[in-house]
Amino acid sequence: MEQYAVEMLHITKRFPGIIANDDITLQLRKGEIHALLGENGAGKSTLMSVLFGLYTPDEGEICINGHPAKIKNPNDANALGIGMVHQHFKLVECFTVLDNIILGVEPVDKLTFLQKKQARDKIMEMSEKWGLHVNPDALISDITVGMQQRTEILKMLYRENDILIFDEPTAVLTPQEIDELMQIMKNLAAEGKSILFITHKLNEIMAVADRCSVLRKGKYIGTVDIKDTNKAELSRMMVGRDVKFAVDKAPAQPGEEILRVENMTVASRQHSNNAVKNVSFSVRRGEIVCIAGIDGNGQSELVFGITGLEPLAGGKLFLKGKNITRMPIRQRSISGMSHIPEDRHKHGLVLDYTLEDNMVLQRYFERQFTKKGFLRRGNIRQYAEKLIDQYDVRSGQGPVTAARSMSGGNQQKAIVAREIDKDPELLVAVQPTRGLDVGAIEYIHQQIVAQRDAGKAVLLVSLELDEVMNVSDRILVMYEGEIVGEFDPKQVTVEELGLYMAGAKRQTAAEETNDETVKE
Amino acid sequence: MALPAIALFIAAIFFAVKKKNECWKWFAAGVAVQYITTLINTGKDELAGLISGTKADAVTALTGEQWTTCTVVIVLAGIIMLLCRYPRYEASQTLIASLLCVLGGLVIGYIVLLVIEPSGAFEAIQTILENFLTYSKPKSQMKYLGQTLVRTAPLLMCALSVLFAYKVGMFNIGAAGQYVAGACAALFFGLYFKAPWWVCVLAAMAAGAFLGVISGALKTFCNVNVVISGIMLNWITLYITNMVLSMDGVKNPMSPYTIQLRGVNPNGLLPQMDLHTLFGNEKSVTIAIPLAVIMAIVVWVVLNKTKFGYELKATGYNFHAAKYSGMKEKRNIILTMAISGALAGMGAALLYLTGIEEWETTISSVPGMDFNGIAVAFLGGLSPIGSILSAFFIQHITLGGSYVDTTYYCAQISSLISSLIIFLCAFVGFIRFAMQNRIRKRDEAMAMRKDMAAKGGSDT
Amino acid sequence: MILLLQYTLLFASVLLLVALGGCFSERSGVINIGLEGIMVIGALGGALVMKYLPVEFGGAPVMILATLIASAAAGMLFSLLLAVAAIHFKADQTITGTAMNMLATAAATVAVKAMNTAASGGHDVSSDIVYTRARDTFIVRFGNFEFNWFMLVALIALIVSYVVLYKMRFGLRLRACGEHPQAADSVGINVYKMRYAGVLASGLLGGIGGIVYITAGVSSWKFENGVAGFGFLALAVMIFGQWKPIKIALAALLFGFFRALGNVYTGFDLLKNLNLPSQIYNMLPYIISLLVLALTSKNSLAPKAEGIPYDKGTR
Repeated sequence: MEQYAVEMLHITKRFPGIIANDDITLQLRKGEIHALLGENGAGKSTLMSVLFGLYTPDEGEICINGHPAKIKNPNDANALGIGMVHQHFKLVECFTVLDNIILGVEPVDKLTFLQKKQARDKIMEMSEKWGLHVNPDALISDITVGMQQRTEILKMLYRENDILIFDEPTAVLTPQEIDELMQIMKNLAAEGKSILFITHKLNEIMAVADRCSVLRKGKYIGTVDIKDTNKAELSRMMVGRDVKFAVDKAPAQPGEEILRVENMTVASRQHSNNAVKNVSFSVRRGEIVCIAGIDGNGQSELVFGITGLEPLAGGKLFLKGKNITRMPIRQRSISGMSHIPEDRHKHGLVLDYTLEDNMVLQRYFERQFTKKGFLRRGNIRQYAEKLIDQYDVRSGQGPVTAARSMSGGNQQKAIVAREIDKDPELLVAVQPTRGLDVGAIEYIHQQIVAQRDAGKAVLLVSLELDEVMNVSDRILVMYEGEIVGEFDPKQVTVEELGLYMAGAKRQTAAEETNDETVKE
Repeated sequence: MALPAIALFIAAIFFAVKKKNECWKWFAAGVAVQYITTLINTGKDELAGLISGTKADAVTALTGEQWTTCTVVIVLAGIIMLLCRYPRYEASQTLIASLLCVLGGLVIGYIVLLVIEPSGAFEAIQTILENFLTYSKPKSQMKYLGQTLVRTAPLLMCALSVLFAYKVGMFNIGAAGQYVAGACAALFFGLYFKAPWWVCVLAAMAAGAFLGVISGALKTFCNVNVVISGIMLNWITLYITNMVLSMDGVKNPMSPYTIQLRGVNPNGLLPQMDLHTLFGNEKSVTIAIPLAVIMAIVVWVVLNKTKFGYELKATGYNFHAAKYSGMKEKRNIILTMAISGALAGMGAALLYLTGIEEWETTISSVPGMDFNGIAVAFLGGLSPIGSILSAFFIQHITLGGSYVDTTYYCAQISSLISSLIIFLCAFVGFIRFAMQNRIRKRDEAMAMRKDMAAKGGSDT
Repeated sequence: MILLLQYTLLFASVLLLVALGGCFSERSGVINIGLEGIMVIGALGGALVMKYLPVEFGGAPVMILATLIASAAAGMLFSLLLAVAAIHFKADQTITGTAMNMLATAAATVAVKAMNTAASGGHDVSSDIVYTRARDTFIVRFGNFEFNWFMLVALIALIVSYVVLYKMRFGLRLRACGEHPQAADSVGINVYKMRYAGVLASGLLGGIGGIVYITAGVSSWKFENGVAGFGFLALAVMIFGQWKPIKIALAALLFGFFRALGNVYTGFDLLKNLNLPSQIYNMLPYIISLLVLALTSKNSLAPKAEGIPYDKGTR
């Protein structure tokens, strides 16, 4: 009989109005890398919360190493040797790597004085053994994301956990770092650690996992051996139908230039380097230009610069031929720029306002909504109802629903409705489908294409290569604040794009020399 | 004693909040016990008459000493229970929470009085609640009601100042300093320049606004927390004010107080518009009272009905979204603090320009008016209109405290009660959250049951 | 000159104690505006012991110890109000703190007045407590310099705070709770417990600070006056000291110096000739801290999670 490290048998967890986990069984063999695949909202994180004792399952049982286990809180899980690298790292920024690793299991003497030397020796030994190189005295805030992740892994190893869970570990890494991580995971598994790998990226599963369990809408779909399957089958299991890899759209018919960016440079808030370095490009009427790249290569700052949220350190911006370099945000908006922001909670919505108040966030000052300084509530209500109807925004109480209480997908729909209904000349959309389910993603893609077909210029920033390949008419790859390549999606492969995104290749040498001129 | 009755009422409220129907039984029992004890207190003779008499007689006979307090408790309990039947409305949730705070403050205050000296505790709490009603003649009642209102006006202004800033996401603890600055400017203009009242009011508003702008600018340009800069500015302003108002021609050379405005510059006093005739010719009754109420309404309109209010609240709720939509978010913050400061400064003018009080130049701590303003704002559910009521209530019990029997107790018992109320106000968010949670759970349970029923139906 | 030194050290001791208290609370993630109130209640606890414990009973060591314990206990008890409200009920910490300040002064006044009234049969309705003889036991005279044992207490508090915060397990965990409570929770640290500990520590140190303050220069205290903004000044010292014990100590010395100057400037011909009102000296520490805050706050060093109630549900 096989020996399982973790067995979660027939787990059911109900929340009011929804069954988050419906009779799910997950069996993790000792020493294997087991992928857990599913879309957002498929029930992966609920299942992990059950394993960590954050939720008590309504039905089902959990066995660890063959013994039934009652896990009531994360401490119980830790005691059973289960460790997790969370998607958002749980690291104290102003502590050193060492302090973060020992936090909670500090080696102390009788008077509870910290014995850091002892800890340091152990960490150095571990990092040697596993190839996890870190500087134990560096502050977390000073090291790269990849190093932070290594710190998280060391945290688990320091606690001598045998069951390691990685929650979406590659979302923030560069391709090289991803390769390294894959290697580390394989080493760990070879040493007898059991690894559960939560992801929705098929390539990574194919590369590293032994088996894969798939969840969809809270239900358990099945477990397959990786060597007997392929990407198409996995994706079919994940979404429940054949995934359309292409968005239906007619060829683009670009018209005149709407946005022109000339030698744009934007300073960074995080580091002393410029986040955007001497970038030039243009977007024409009737085309979707997509900025591709790995997170943190200057895409956000590029958009902040274009929309006016950050001042430019250099360069010029033109909207329909008019210089808007120093134009305030409001004026840009009135001149025909719409912006679907990257972070809908931070920028896109006033969560404590009602849906109707959010619907007029970009237009409340217009004559139809304000008269002599007083809001025209009736008109606002009417307008909000029109948008809700037209864009199918669902909410509990219609226009007076608090934005906070709406689902992510409907919040995003509301933003899309607001920005598109402004009838812009240029639509800037940043990761418009992040965290949404398949239905909402398709809907938003359709809307973006419809805007293009209506003769608008669209600038799309995306981290998802599928989205980049399917929606865009032209691709610009950004790497370390520069545009390193321009492609036609029909004539480039994903692999090729990946090389550019990782900085392994770049198209022209001319841009590198330009770089020097900016710095002076 | 009325103690058993009060206990029953509290039980009633407890059950009302717990959503139990027993609450009405407890309420009824409370009323009954109350009536009986009062009847016993009114004496055997009357009791004998009452047993044979009609019910109308019974009501007229209820002139016992405990009448006021018991009425207050009965009314409070009744209102809370009534509101508990309509828990879905935000207003009723806020009201329930506020009333619970008041009740909590009163009960703890009563317990403190009991600890100090049990025999007079009930009279004392009753005196505090009665305030001007302790006078028997209607004319004196009106006169002291007038005095209460005179002090309510500045308190209301401070509350407006606090809540205006709070709505825009800032805790204006600096309203105390802005109030002091207002007092300084109003008195200086009135006494030194012999300016007419409206100039003094404007000067006070400008002084308050100036301090507000400092706090706002420090926040937007230097990232200094408004609470911290407010606290620092409170003390700086206090010392500056003491210096300025100690100048010759402003301070009374014989005492630590400023010169009486009435004597040197009657034009500096706020006009009375014959309002004082309504309040037993209490001289200090001026247009300050209607002015404060008007300001409350204006603040309400600005916050809820105007584009300006929409922008300010958006800035307060989400600074980044305000910037994203092109609002001038930094300007909005500074402007908010300026308005907030002006309101507090005006509050001071509305007190010191009535001639009811002079500034004490040796004062070593910031006047409590603003901190009471915080209490008022939160007790009033952060609504300008609610603040009118809560300002009156807080001032009412504060002045009521000065009538307690000083052989056992001291006037500060009122401050104790009002500070207890603020402390309890900190829990308002939690109370409302708990109420909403309960409503949600009930709704969900009902939905689930409906689902089950529907499923069961389809099976058959 | 000696007087200036003496007052500087005394005031610095007070500020140091209270600011360290604030430091513990804020490091755990709870903003403590209520330090002023904690001082008042701590002072009340200590003053009562000083009034009622006979000096003959064990002499100076017993008196000092008993006073310290009483004020620390009173301060801790009062700080529980903040702990319960802020940690358990997720109340707004600023409102709670403000309410505590008002509550402390009102409660102390009511209590002292009630006691005085009862003791005198209604003749004495003041809010004063007199403790002349007890106070003398705190002081050792070296020539003109009055050494106060509490200066030593403050120094010990400083050393202990530093060691606890940076060299011991408790400190590491406490700081983690103030910076990133979710991270602390994920490694099995009970955030609620640590925050309780932080707030109680602030009650302990704040309470002691209170008694040191009221016995600094006088032999009786009028509780109606509270502690005249010293708790707020300590808050400024804490921010000025960037939540770090050693820097807090230096800030306390600086602020204590200005405060002392306000008390004794008439003893210096140079300052006396300037003819500035004493208010100026009182104002100076606040003005300086405001200026420094304006210059240094761009990159705030405050604990990241302070003021945010921790909710186990949000991860």
